[in-house]
Amino acid sequence: MENLLTEKESLDLIGQMINTAKNNLQKGTAKIILFWGYLVAGFSLATWVLLETLPHETRYHAFYLWFLMAAAYPFHYMLVKKIDRENRVRTYIDGLMNRVWIGFTISILVVVFGMLIDSLIVNTVAEAVKPGHEFVRWFHWLLLVPFMLCLYGFALFVSGKAYEFKPLTLGGLFCFAASFVLLFSLHKTGVYGVQMFALFISAVAGFVIPGHMLNRKEKKYVQGS
Amino acid sequence: MFKDLDPLLHSQLRLAVISILIGSEEADFVFIREKTNATAGNLSVQIEKLREAGYISVEKSFRGKMPRTTCRITPAGISAFEKYVAALNSYLRPK
Repeated sequence: MENLLTEKESLDLIGQMINTAKNNLQKGTAKIILFWGYLVAGFSLATWVLLETLPHETRYHAFYLWFLMAAAYPFHYMLVKKIDRENRVRTYIDGLMNRVWIGFTISILVVVFGMLIDSLIVNTVAEAVKPGHEFVRWFHWLLLVPFMLCLYGFALFVSGKAYEFKPLTLGGLFCFAASFVLLFSLHKTGVYGVQMFALFISAVAGFVIPGHMLNRKEKKYVQGS
Repeated sequence: MFKDLDPLLHSQLRLAVISILIGSEEADFVFIREKTNATAGNLSVQIEKLREAGYISVEKSFRGKMPRTTCRITPAGISAFEKYVAALNSYLRPK
C-alpha cells in the first residue's frame, strides 16, 4: 500500500529527510584526528628533545626520526577501513573532506620528497661541481615547518567549517598563526628547535584537543552510525 | 497549467528514500530503514522500483560477515527529483 502525499507534505518530507544526514561526521573521525595529533605531537616533541641534547655536529640526525612516520600509514589505512565498515551513510561533505585530507597528504609528500631529492642528490652533485653556498642549498628546510603548519591550518579550517565544529576551525586558525609567527624566526639561532616546539603545540591545539572534544560529543555530531 | 508529478516519486516512502540519497553520496539499507521507519519488506520493494526506473543504483557487499546493501542516487534520479520539486513549486506557487 502506497501513501500518497499532498504537495505540502511532499516538501516537508523532502526537507526532513535531507536533514537526516546534514553535517554528518562519520563515527570514528575523532580517532583519526587523535591518531595523527598524538603522532605528530610525539614526534615533534621527541625531535625537539633530541635537537637540544645531541652533540652539535650530529644534532640534525634528529630529523631522521620522521622517516618512521611512514610506518603509521598502514595503521591509518586500517582505521579508515574500520570507519567505512561501521558507518551507514556518507554525505557529500564526508566525501569532499576525505579528498581534502588526501590532497593535504599528497601536498606534504610532494614537498618533503622533492626537498629530500634536492638535498640528497641535486645538492650533492652541485657541491661536487661547485663547492660552497651551503646555506643557500639547505635554506628551504627552514621553510618546511611553516609550510606544513599552513597546510594543517587549511585542512583543519575547511573541515571545521564544513562540519560546523568550532574547535577544529579554531585549531586551524592556531596553525595559521603559528606558521605566520615562525616566518619571523628564520634567522634566529636554534630555529629548528623552536619550529619543533611550535609544531608540538600546534598538533595539540589543532588535533589533540579538538579530537578529544569531538570524541566526547560524537553522539551529538555523528548521525547515522 | 500544472505539471504532472512523477508517480514514482509521489509516494511517501520512495520520496523519502530519494530525499535521503539526494543529500548523501551513499547510504545503506539499515540507515534508510531507520530514518524512514519503514519495514524491511516494504523498503526492499520500493528500493527495487526506484532501481528498475534507473533512479538509484544498488550495490550488495559484506560488512565484516554481515551482508550490506548500499544505495546511491543516479544522474537520472537527480534529474527526476529536480523535475519533481519544480512541479511541486508550480503547484504551490502557480503563476
